[in-house]
Amino acid sequence: MKKELEHSFVTLLEKHQNIAHKICRIYTNDQEEHNDLFQEITIQLWKAYPKFRGDSKFSTWMYRVALNTAITLYRKAKRSIRTDNFDEVSFKIKADEYDGETEHQLKLMYKAVKELNDIDKALVFLYLEDQSYREISKTLGISEINARVKMNRVKTKLKSILNP
Amino acid sequence: MDELEILKKDWKKKEAELPRLSYNEIYQMLWKRSSSIVKWIFVISILELFLSTLLSIFLADEAYWLEMEQLKLRNFTIGLYVISYGITFYFIYRFYRNYQKISSTDDAATLMQNILRTRKTVKTYIAFVLISSGISALVVSYFSVKNHQLTASVEDAAKYSFDLMAWTKFIFLAFIALSIFLCAIWLFYKLLYGILLKRLKRNYRELKTLEM
Repeated sequence: MKKELEHSFVTLLEKHQNIAHKICRIYTNDQEEHNDLFQEITIQLWKAYPKFRGDSKFSTWMYRVALNTAITLYRKAKRSIRTDNFDEVSFKIKADEYDGETEHQLKLMYKAVKELNDIDKALVFLYLEDQSYREISKTLGISEINARVKMNRVKTKLKSILNP
Repeated sequence: MDELEILKKDWKKKEAELPRLSYNEIYQMLWKRSSSIVKWIFVISILELFLSTLLSIFLADEAYWLEMEQLKLRNFTIGLYVISYGITFYFIYRFYRNYQKISSTDDAATLMQNILRTRKTVKTYIAFVLISSGISALVVSYFSVKNHQLTASVEDAAKYSFDLMAWTKFIFLAFIALSIFLCAIWLFYKLLYGILLKRLKRNYRELKTLEM
């Protein structure tokens, strides 16, 4: 019984692991921290898995548990926040893919996202993942109006960083 | 084009560059130990509840009860113990109920709220232990001095007779000692939970702004 549970969980997580990796990219600054957070997300998902009833999609359920882990449960091993080499370790931007201006803009955008607070990062992440405001509000436990207002503020914040 | 839309496009493109862990690598992780703050809060809270209960049991040895008898405080102490154990059990029950409610599958705000509530229960319990210990220490000191005067031999009476000034000094010094003790414990708490819960409190505040 336990073996079956382990097998079904690992198979599902292996399939949907991108969600956890993307959260790690937003919330951590180096590979070691990335691995550490990924591991904690896996542990939290596994602990909660017996209660997963399957009435929602595994991915929807995973967004919630993984974000909760990154925002609330995870204790960073290191206190230092390094954003200087962010694009080298987290978001590799290939120069030949974009024109100079877009490339520069993307670098600035990723740097700006890294500098946001934990909640704003969650909003941006869910937005980038094409989640509706209804889904965002449900994941974060806030009203839909609040989610929209906060998202607009984040957009303004990012715009002001890009166009000082 | 909206800046975030450019970012979204690139974000999707980057999915292909994400690391990929194998079935076995993920399987190995299931048995690693969690370092979540809930685990830390649970361990610290249980230690606090356990130590403060142990302390009150071990401090009340035979000599202590004999002393209370001499000071005519036996019934008072028994009453105090009954009340304080009742309150302790109530707090342990509340802590257990609150802890059970913590679930990583809740929405972010509810999860944070439940963690903070669990922590608050233990904090209130510690405040209760400290304040009640402080008050009972004052009561016992008062009766020690008072009854010592009554039980002391006549020739010693002058030595133990307390005038108004001496009483004022006694109360003042007891108050200062108690304040220092409570401040030290409070500082320790601030430091310990400040480190542990600072980020959580900040995120909860951030999440809840505009919500009222």
